[in-house]
Amino acid sequence: MHDEEETLAGFDPLLLAVLSNRMQSIVREMSNIVKKSSRSTAITNARDFSCGLLTFDHRLVCVEEAMPVHVTAMDLATRPVTDLFGDVAEGDAFFSNSPYHGGTHHADMTLCVPVYLDGVPMFWTVARSHHADTGAHVPTTMDAYMRTVYEEGMHIPVVRFQSQYRDRDDVIRWCRQNIRESHIWYGDYQAQVGAARTAETRLKELGARYGRDSIRAFVEAWMEYGKRRARAAIAALPAGTFTWTCRHDPVPGVADEGIPITAKVTIQPDAGKIVVDLRDNPDCVDGGINLSEACATGAGRIGVFYNLDPSLPHNDGSASCIEVLLRDGCIVGRPSYPVGTSNATMGINDRLINAVQCAFAQLGSPYGLAEGGTEFGANMGVISGIDDRTGASSSYINMLFLGLSTGPAVHGHDGWLTYEAPNGGGVLALDQVEIDEMTYPILVEERKISTNAMGMGQWNGAPAMQGVYRPLTQPMTVAYCSDGDVNPPAGVIGGGQGTPAINAKRLADGSEIQLPAFHMETLNAGERIVFRTVSGGGYGDPRDRDAARVARDVDRGWIDANVAYEVYGVAVIQPEGGVDCVVDGDATARLRAASTLGVR
Amino acid sequence: MFRVGVDIGGTFTDCVIQTPEGKTIIVKSPSTPGNFAEGFMNVLKVAADRFGLGFADFLGKVSVIVHGTTVSTNALVTRRTARTGLMATRGHPDVLTLREAPRKKAWDWRLDYPDPFVPRNLTMEVGGRIDSLGNEIEPLSEQDVRAAARRFRQAGVEAIAVSLLWAFVNPSHEVRVAAIIEEEWPGVPVSLGHQVNPIPREYRRTIATAIDASLRPVVNAYVDALTGALASAGFGGKLLIANCTGGMMPPDEIIASPIQSVMSGPTMAPVAARYAAPDRDVVVADMGGTTFDVAAIRSGQILVTPEAMIYDHDMLGLPKVDVRSVGAGGGSIAWVDDGGLLHVGPQSAGARPGPACYGLGGDMATVTDANVVLGIIDPDFFLGGAIRLDRALAEQAVDRIAGQLRISRLEAAYAIHATSNHNMIGAIEDITVNEGLNPRDSLIVTGGGATGCHIAGMAQALGLPMFMVPRLSSGLSAFGGLVSDIRWQATASAYSDSSNFAFDRVNQALLDLTKRCTAFLDRSEISQETRTMEVAFMGRYQFQSWEIEVPFRLPESGAISTANLSSLTKAFHDVHRRVYGIANENDRVEFVSWKMTAVGRTDRQPAAAPPLAGSAMVEPAAKGSRSVCFEAGAKARSIPVYNGGSLPVGAGIHGPAVIEEETTTLLLLPGMTARVDIEGNYWVECA
Repeated sequence: MHDEEETLAGFDPLLLAVLSNRMQSIVREMSNIVKKSSRSTAITNARDFSCGLLTFDHRLVCVEEAMPVHVTAMDLATRPVTDLFGDVAEGDAFFSNSPYHGGTHHADMTLCVPVYLDGVPMFWTVARSHHADTGAHVPTTMDAYMRTVYEEGMHIPVVRFQSQYRDRDDVIRWCRQNIRESHIWYGDYQAQVGAARTAETRLKELGARYGRDSIRAFVEAWMEYGKRRARAAIAALPAGTFTWTCRHDPVPGVADEGIPITAKVTIQPDAGKIVVDLRDNPDCVDGGINLSEACATGAGRIGVFYNLDPSLPHNDGSASCIEVLLRDGCIVGRPSYPVGTSNATMGINDRLINAVQCAFAQLGSPYGLAEGGTEFGANMGVISGIDDRTGASSSYINMLFLGLSTGPAVHGHDGWLTYEAPNGGGVLALDQVEIDEMTYPILVEERKISTNAMGMGQWNGAPAMQGVYRPLTQPMTVAYCSDGDVNPPAGVIGGGQGTPAINAKRLADGSEIQLPAFHMETLNAGERIVFRTVSGGGYGDPRDRDAARVARDVDRGWIDANVAYEVYGVAVIQPEGGVDCVVDGDATARLRAASTLGVR
Repeated sequence: MFRVGVDIGGTFTDCVIQTPEGKTIIVKSPSTPGNFAEGFMNVLKVAADRFGLGFADFLGKVSVIVHGTTVSTNALVTRRTARTGLMATRGHPDVLTLREAPRKKAWDWRLDYPDPFVPRNLTMEVGGRIDSLGNEIEPLSEQDVRAAARRFRQAGVEAIAVSLLWAFVNPSHEVRVAAIIEEEWPGVPVSLGHQVNPIPREYRRTIATAIDASLRPVVNAYVDALTGALASAGFGGKLLIANCTGGMMPPDEIIASPIQSVMSGPTMAPVAARYAAPDRDVVVADMGGTTFDVAAIRSGQILVTPEAMIYDHDMLGLPKVDVRSVGAGGGSIAWVDDGGLLHVGPQSAGARPGPACYGLGGDMATVTDANVVLGIIDPDFFLGGAIRLDRALAEQAVDRIAGQLRISRLEAAYAIHATSNHNMIGAIEDITVNEGLNPRDSLIVTGGGATGCHIAGMAQALGLPMFMVPRLSSGLSAFGGLVSDIRWQATASAYSDSSNFAFDRVNQALLDLTKRCTAFLDRSEISQETRTMEVAFMGRYQFQSWEIEVPFRLPESGAISTANLSSLTKAFHDVHRRVYGIANENDRVEFVSWKMTAVGRTDRQPAAAPPLAGSAMVEPAAKGSRSVCFEAGAKARSIPVYNGGSLPVGAGIHGPAVIEEETTTLLLLPGMTARVDIEGNYWVECA
């Protein structure tokens, strides 16, 4: 207690409030620039990018409003710059996509700019975007069958792309030679430069106004603040060690039986610390689904943060209260070069976050989350082909975000509908059908919410989305790596499991064939992709769900009256001519009384 | 003749009257939620009394009333809009639920997914499909439309929104749907997507269409009641209603497009500011009781956003004057979290119980309490003495925060004051930096009663050279009505790009826009001399997804030719560079849609010129002095207090000082000099 008083008296509350506010404004400004001026639809429409500020000694300062998978271990991305370069200077910008140098996976290209205040290096501004292509032998950036880095396309292992605030033409030329549709790549890169440089300017303005010493004092106070908030949140949890295992779907030829992923979480409320032990997991596999160190570290932190007060700052101070134990050569640890990690941001990563977040549910209600929907089915396919709509023909390649997997239930709330996956924090945007149809030669015949496809519980996982799309006249290739066709997300504390993904092809004659989960399919005109996303698990027994909520679910078509009756024990009546159904109180009471007698 | 601006706010209805001699005065009367027309008539009666005229006599002398209404905003906020049914393209019934994926905080799962504006069981799918080029892929299912209309009627729907994919490119299906509805259910109000909001992105078009439909009955009834009440009270002049893009429209046009009236009151504040400071970059900062609203003007153009939010998770869909609102007002509550970080707002003590110093039972420290403790606000002269504040209660509340932070009372009060300043600065930066404006090169013009206590501190933190506090600051929106123009906008989608410009298609679209704008000006009886048209396109680089608005001058011929195409692309590069800091001059520019605004200029005298810096100043006597703390370090200093009402033209006051006006208090910091112009406005130079 004495310690805490000293800390509280040790900083200026005004400076802390003001400067933390300013740091968040700067990251918002960075994000706006990347979003609005990039070219890839994954970035501009779906928000698959993140920006952050770190101290020059690699501590997270501010990474709010970003995708958790991108930023939670961003400290690993700047560290190699100072390890590898003895001559970092003002005006430099370093570009990297190497998962062996703190990157998440090679499609996430990261720009790091050092910020000097009066000649002293103080910060890194970092912009990380998911690029559409990396020049691999096949037109996709994520593939379960890319077994090594040699199959993934370009690796940029922390290279100086700018010095004295100017692009180095040689490295730009090198990238443009190797990457498909490289004008798009360059537009996206420039947006990252714009964001990182703008943040540099803003930090320098801040330094000029408050002085370097005040800024330095702020950083320390801000880290202490993060640590205090995290410790307070952890102190409120019960002590104990809890384990949860999820299973990644089989990947034929890579992991035929699927892969169990286990998180062992030890909560130490007195020490204000949580240990996530990931060492008891399989070794790396011969495929593209191994995690990078950044992803494994990040997943451990993310699963814990999802269980703590969301308003605490996700900075180095709070992250330091979470210890993630990794093992060399482990599929969720430090990968052994040169194994493939192209799929590291999803798949195994999502299963790992689920395992960590669900371990907390072992504490019983109201703790923990159910498992969230896993991803990357054909709803998010990387499409490529020829666009001949304007007469001239040009090629295209980009990722769709037509549907998103859906969120897990927690105590007190149903799952979030536009969730995407555990790694994303629900910040991705959903494509507008009209923008996709304007940009690519496709027609989206259907995109909507499914009926009876969710993890049912006292609180429901969110329902799945489904859709149908097709190329207009020319053949189109669709690549995806769908984890969730076999093992749907589990529910917790009596909640039902979510529903699996559907990836199918509808032929011209209307018949449908199921497609493999990890796959690249070519469609001809008249053929269609049919998808359904994975839905998150439920929390608590569905028979305990508020009957009025069940009636509302029927009204909005998320379940039908039969499921209301059979699963939730709620009888609803559709009034003559009306559109809102009402709960039949007596029948519901009878149904639910029966269920407690063990009938169900 | 008198000219009158009326703005209905949450608490007060403001009325600014311009006399036949050209003087402006402001009167206020309480707003009357539930029947806003009553408060509207009341404030006109107060105005008549002010001039010693009978009500009918006064109204007979009024040539025009410009009205910023809150009736549509209020209906949306209180969810008292018409029960609305939506017809959507088959296969796409969840546009309003899925949205573009609503924004959430990445780490928060303990929240409910927001309900759609139109419930799913009042959404009906209809067969038929148009593609992105306007080709019909599948004919409209008239049977579906009839079934939907019948179901809506049976379900007690009061208005119908129709929003089909690609209708803004080829509206034939929507037009046919409207005709069928009229056959099935004559007279039911209908809004069509391609008319309400002809832009790509089905969510934005559909939400705007649904909002428009849901407002039809309420706006229609309100405008009818208002015109009826005015006519029977003896008003024979012209009534104009403010729209959300910073202009005003005749009542019939608002009835035809009610969404245009949403959040239209606050859009008049930047109109007033643009009048006061024409042709330059301006930030309009308005701090009220619960929120701080900020708008911006770039080179005389009021910034418009396509992403205005109407609820936490729903957009308006339609472009609207960009007014950003943050929970930072006089009533914002200060609190300390479990890590020891001070926060101010967004929770507000509101008007009741209000700040602790109101003595109405509130015990939480608010920004107003901090300002009382600091000595900036005189508890005996709040709103000119209309409300008496209790200093002891303010001190008690602030002491609680001081205890949690383990600092002194004055330090805590200053921390609250300064944190609030920085929340507002964040809002100013959001709108300026994201739109490529430099606040340092901009003039800040204040509105609202509470801004005067904070503007000096904000100006200093932002490094601004100058700001302006208008005499009519507390009624800025109502005043804006008096100096606004009639504006009516039409949009056409005629896609083209710079490498293969479709001259015929674009020029046909521009011709069509000119015809529609001319028709509007004709039916609104706008004289030829006061007519102008403004033209802009929404453009982007190839493969970008987000368009930016680029104003350009239409050639005399009314058509774009090879000769002037390059000026269009250059204008695009310039705006792109300004907004995002980069431009790619070699890249292909895509022209997505074209906008034309019909303008009927209001005849107005030019605003007072700012006093020349360095000109001779009269230095008036202070009415007294008091102890004020205005800087970190817990020191209060005795500084002079001036009575604003008695300051002569040309008066100059050096900070530190406090100037007390009837409806606002202006704090000047050391090094600042305020000069009074001919209208009684303050122009403050910062050192």
